[in-house]
Amino acid sequence: MDESEKLARLAHARALLAALEVDDEAAFAVELDALAMGQRQPVFEEVGRMTREVHQALMAFATDDRLSCLAEAEMPDARDRLRYVITLTDQAANRTLALVEEALPVTDRLMDRSERLRSELAQVARTQADNSKLVTVIQGITEYLDSVLNNGGVLKTQLTEVMMAQEFQDLSGQLLQRVIVLLETLEAKMLGLLQKTHPVSAEKTEADQSAALRQGLGPAIPTGKNASVKADTVKNQDDVDDLLASLGF
Amino acid sequence: MDRNMKILVVDDFSTMRRIIKNLLKELGFTHIEEADDGTTALPMLKQGNFDFLVTDWNMPGMTGIDLLKAVRADPALAHLPVLMVTAEAKREQIIMAAQAGVNGYVVKPFNGPTLKEKIDKIFERVQS
Repeated sequence: MDESEKLARLAHARALLAALEVDDEAAFAVELDALAMGQRQPVFEEVGRMTREVHQALMAFATDDRLSCLAEAEMPDARDRLRYVITLTDQAANRTLALVEEALPVTDRLMDRSERLRSELAQVARTQADNSKLVTVIQGITEYLDSVLNNGGVLKTQLTEVMMAQEFQDLSGQLLQRVIVLLETLEAKMLGLLQKTHPVSAEKTEADQSAALRQGLGPAIPTGKNASVKADTVKNQDDVDDLLASLGF
Repeated sequence: MDRNMKILVVDDFSTMRRIIKNLLKELGFTHIEEADDGTTALPMLKQGNFDFLVTDWNMPGMTGIDLLKAVRADPALAHLPVLMVTAEAKREQIIMAAQAGVNGYVVKPFNGPTLKEKIDKIFERVQS
């Protein structure tokens, strides 16, 4: 605080006291305002500076093409990819479950049949006890049937384990769905900000696209909202072969 | 325990419904129906004479905890045994489910023996 400002404040403070002593409300208010002004000025200046900075940051943010690219293309793409992961794991898990569901009763039938055959043979062995050759053969078959029953039990336990392992699909799916919701929220917020600051949407430049192609796009997703994905992406090996053939391979 | 009892399995993931259904079949239960969230499950429960409800927690539409509360609030269903099979693992949630009147709570990932143990326990208590 410089000397003249100090003097001015002192003058206001004395006038404030004087006004208080003589009960002059109006003069008191004026002097109080004058004193407070000195305090408020730096705050106003600071708010003004911050406002300018926020404005500049927002303008820089809005004119940065990366933001619009992120909000309009990359985030929806990431979301579609995650959805596709859920679909793929769902298909894989259901395929595995279907096979387990088929294999379990097959195992049951094998075991039932072996069990029945085993007791039938035991009966034959009892009635034909004097036929030692037959009894020996029956013993051999019975041992084999015992191993079928044992291994059948092991197989059933393992098939159940295979089934339980498919639980990952539910858990990973739930986690991915949370990330998808997060992406959607972020995307909506960013689009809102973009519309406020930069109403014209930026087109992805050709340079960006070729850079992305070099980097690799990952597996193509058939559910992609972007129509160009379908048009410019092969669907299967036949498409690949056709394309290569058309290029003279 | 009556192996012929009618069971409703509620989960938004078809994989999980299929797994639970298979485990229940292995335990000898044959009357099993499915629903993919509380909104579809509740009318089924109200009409279907179910003896047992197995439900997930986190589902779109009506969640498992809301389904449980709706079941307990309905005089016709209030005594239906309910087992939650869910990935929700916060203590607070388990307490919430207990306060809402759940009969058993299995946290995913789980296994066949755990499911059997919880079901046995529920019906031991229900019958005693």
